[in-house]
Amino acid sequence: MKKPASIGWFLALSLLFLTVESKAKVTLSGYVRDAATGEELIGANVAVEESGAGTITNEYGYFSLSLESGNYTVVCSYMGYTTASLPISLNDDIVFDIELNEAIIQLEEVTVSGLANNNNITSLETGSTRLSIQSIRKIPALLGEVDVIKTILLLPGVQMTSEGSSGFSVRGGGRDQNLILLDGATVYNASHLMGFFSVFNNDAIKDVKLYKGDIPASSGGRLSSLLDIRMKEGNRRNFSASGGIGTIASRLTLEGPIVQDKVSFLVAARRTYADIFLKFAKDEAIRQNRLFFYDLNGKLNYLINDNNRIYLSGYYGKDVFANDYAGMYFGNRTFTLRWNHLFSNRLFSNFTFLNTHYFYDLGTPEGSSQYFNWKSYLEDYGFKGDFIWYPSPEHTFQFGASGIYHTINPGSVKAQSQDGINQSMELPSNHSLENGLYFSGESKIAERFTLRYGVRYSTFSNVGPATIYEFDEEHQVTDALHYESGDFFNFYHGLEPRVAANYVLSEKNSLKSSYSRTRQYLHLASNSSAGTPLEVWFPASPNIKPQVSDQVAAGYFRNFLDNRLETSLEFYYKKMSNSIDFRDHAQLMLNPRLEGELRVGEATSYGAEFYIKYETKKFSGWISYTLSKTLRDIPEINEGNPYPAPYDKPHDLSLVFSYELFSRIDVAANWVYNTGIPFTLPSGRYEVMGNILPVYTGRNEYRFPSYHRLDLSITIRGKEKPGKRWRGEWNISAYNAYARKNVWTLNFRQDESNPDVTYAEMTYLFSIVPAITYNFKF
Amino acid sequence: MSRIQTYYRSGLLMVVLFIASSCTERIDIELGSTFQRLVVHGTVTTDSVRHQVNLSVSSDYFVNKPSPRISKAVVELSFDDMTLLLSEHDTIPGLYETPYAFRGVEGTTYKLDISQVDADQDGQYETYHATSTMPGGTVLHSIELRYIATPIFPGYQVAMYAIHLPEQRDWFGFKLWKNGFLLTDTLAKYSVMSDDLFDDGYFPGFPAGFLSDEDPRQAVHPGDTVTLELNCIEQEYYDFVIDAQLEIMGNNPLFSGPSANVSTNIDNGALGIFAAYSIQRASSILPQ
Repeated sequence: MKKPASIGWFLALSLLFLTVESKAKVTLSGYVRDAATGEELIGANVAVEESGAGTITNEYGYFSLSLESGNYTVVCSYMGYTTASLPISLNDDIVFDIELNEAIIQLEEVTVSGLANNNNITSLETGSTRLSIQSIRKIPALLGEVDVIKTILLLPGVQMTSEGSSGFSVRGGGRDQNLILLDGATVYNASHLMGFFSVFNNDAIKDVKLYKGDIPASSGGRLSSLLDIRMKEGNRRNFSASGGIGTIASRLTLEGPIVQDKVSFLVAARRTYADIFLKFAKDEAIRQNRLFFYDLNGKLNYLINDNNRIYLSGYYGKDVFANDYAGMYFGNRTFTLRWNHLFSNRLFSNFTFLNTHYFYDLGTPEGSSQYFNWKSYLEDYGFKGDFIWYPSPEHTFQFGASGIYHTINPGSVKAQSQDGINQSMELPSNHSLENGLYFSGESKIAERFTLRYGVRYSTFSNVGPATIYEFDEEHQVTDALHYESGDFFNFYHGLEPRVAANYVLSEKNSLKSSYSRTRQYLHLASNSSAGTPLEVWFPASPNIKPQVSDQVAAGYFRNFLDNRLETSLEFYYKKMSNSIDFRDHAQLMLNPRLEGELRVGEATSYGAEFYIKYETKKFSGWISYTLSKTLRDIPEINEGNPYPAPYDKPHDLSLVFSYELFSRIDVAANWVYNTGIPFTLPSGRYEVMGNILPVYTGRNEYRFPSYHRLDLSITIRGKEKPGKRWRGEWNISAYNAYARKNVWTLNFRQDESNPDVTYAEMTYLFSIVPAITYNFKF
Repeated sequence: MSRIQTYYRSGLLMVVLFIASSCTERIDIELGSTFQRLVVHGTVTTDSVRHQVNLSVSSDYFVNKPSPRISKAVVELSFDDMTLLLSEHDTIPGLYETPYAFRGVEGTTYKLDISQVDADQDGQYETYHATSTMPGGTVLHSIELRYIATPIFPGYQVAMYAIHLPEQRDWFGFKLWKNGFLLTDTLAKYSVMSDDLFDDGYFPGFPAGFLSDEDPRQAVHPGDTVTLELNCIEQEYYDFVIDAQLEIMGNNPLFSGPSANVSTNIDNGALGIFAAYSIQRASSILPQ
């Protein structure tokens, strides 16, 4: 009886279309921009006082509201900017671009009502946070280098995977379960210098948003989070420069118009000089080492006309560890070409072509007596088409599609011995195609109730040439299947529903809940907590199913003191199936039979996140506390007993504050505390061939001592005068101010003078680390 | 782990140490305890010797005493329809030897049975079993000493010339002797590898060992005789050595996975290894 059912769906869709259309009369649309630079502002509030209708700008600063004809007051607000109230007479569709002034640049007393909105109450999102670049800049950081990833570690539900590392865990997920996007392109390894710094130059960034599981249907491919980072477009009004000279790195950003208000550029460069300090080493071998990284961000924007904009952005970064005898190099390159097109003032579209390349290369110089070279790379080519339709103030719909072609070269090794004999090993490349089709809608169902509903349909296929090993129950290879170039084999697909609801109890409090399903087709071959640049990703295959996560979350949000004090309490429960771990003593490097090292099971994570944020003209800060548990249950690990996941930290507390002590002096402090990570320690020992070997009774049965650390900073700004363009400030910081010796790892050693005696030895990375940086802008 | 992986894992560790102002210090820590387990270390080789099996038990981690030895166990070695009863050494408790010297044979499966042991001290005897088949098919031709004159690792590389059967998977162990003295005398120093990098069946000057100038025991001088001992081992022994070396090397958050028990081919919850492997040796004298 197919005919009646199909007619029913058609009628329902038509009714929906008529319903959403019938209320729309005229459209108010446009962009919200920074008045000084012309930069579009993402997530700015645009509301109409008289009707209560409102929306927020999308990732390109665009908004659209459909209203009855009439006279209105449009109120536009954004973090760190003065709120604008603008009268408007709306009789026909109009394009109404709004420009906001940055509150910080005004010299007279500034009302800060623009900061105090109730977005956290009215927005649908659970488990998401938008970070302002200003707040990131205030946070004291390792070696004085402000860092996006180090900042998100201070949010509830986000934990570092290892001291100093740029890897992070969101709600118990692995560090490969975070989709990190830079202008839409995936960043696979966001670390410089073994993770002490991230690849993101704060001077080039405009917007940072973290989604902790409640990921929009437009994105997929990772289980736990989306970290969406948008670069600045470049100042369209004036040429400007900013930068800093610090203890460990220097940076310079240049931006400006090529054609006023039409074409602009941005270039940001950064380089460290860590090897300067190696020159003071006693050991000559250490003095000869080169150790640095550099990165470059570039952006070009062209506003063709009111309906068309082109953006070109790219990133290139490289780390170098080398001396005259050996070297290791690794880095990222991303490239994004985007075209925004307005089909109408209610239908916004964006088309993106993207490329990502991650590589590493290590070995000895060619021609050396022991020539050796080991290379690996990962490359994505992708295309996305996204549409946003604003039929009425009560409804917004998004839909689109994407496709990414992955190529992974896990390792290519060449060696040449002293007598000229060549040897080589090539792990075969693998190729795959990952696609997504999505639809989502956000509808104000009633005065106080808003619903977001959506679904993503993702598919994945392996593409030849490929060699796929077959394994028996003992994980031993029994056969190898070969596929020719261009052969599509092994198809996975699945629906990923995403639903969220917000019931606004009053303008001061609301209840929210969400459910999302996510699928992950690429995984990181790593079982270490911090990771190295030499890790490789591997795709789903006939032997490896995609990981799937189902997460439910619910929270209560409450504001006080005219929205200056924001509080929230969120609960989440996450179940992950086909969860990947690796066998004991897995061999992951240059292993052609890598899939035989995997073990698959389930993982569960649940917790409560408490967040309180307070902001005034002089003071801003927050407290975040997470109580959580994450367990893995893999039949062939830990004798089939559930065990704590590597990032299971039941208590995680962050206190962050900054205060304007005087008009030119700010002080800031962070204090972080978390339960020590779970660790496997021996319960017994035995001896074989002169060495003592441990006996373990369970994986991750013990915990390191608790981790805690205090970071302090003081910023002293130069005197500001009207008309003076140069602005400079000194930042003095101390990371780990009370020199806490936080355990990085624990090992057991045999006493050299008496091999029967063993002792425990802890390694810690940092004592107090001071830094001085001079930042400037003109 | 292949030599390549070992080399670059070590190299990477060095690089990390340059940049990480990591510091170490002793720490007091309380560990739990667990029941005693039998520990077996037995080998059968192609050398004409009385082959040995060591029996001991595990203990608490900070016991800081030699492992207790197991005496009066019944230890039997079976192969080719023959069963030999090993006898305990007169002066070394826990060391059991075959009644006479003989050469192990490639392709033969050796079975070890142990009984009359109460390792967990519950008043009940346990029995333990293990098997190992001696691999073969590799021929060691010669070695060559090559001087590597880098400031970081100066010393002599021991280059091996050998052939193996490319159609089968092989695993190898290497020991180094200098002037008749075994340098690689502990589990940590015994290097092993698989044949993954050598699909064509040749080892043309493969760097099987290294003797560092910085270590007086290893430094090679004119007139010294260096001997490479090539062991053809089973995968189980290879896995045991790799696991053990990972545990001995210790944990580093950059590239170490979780600690875990070393694999074994002894059943019934025992620890250790029983391995049958062939031995070939080649020597080179550093010219005056």
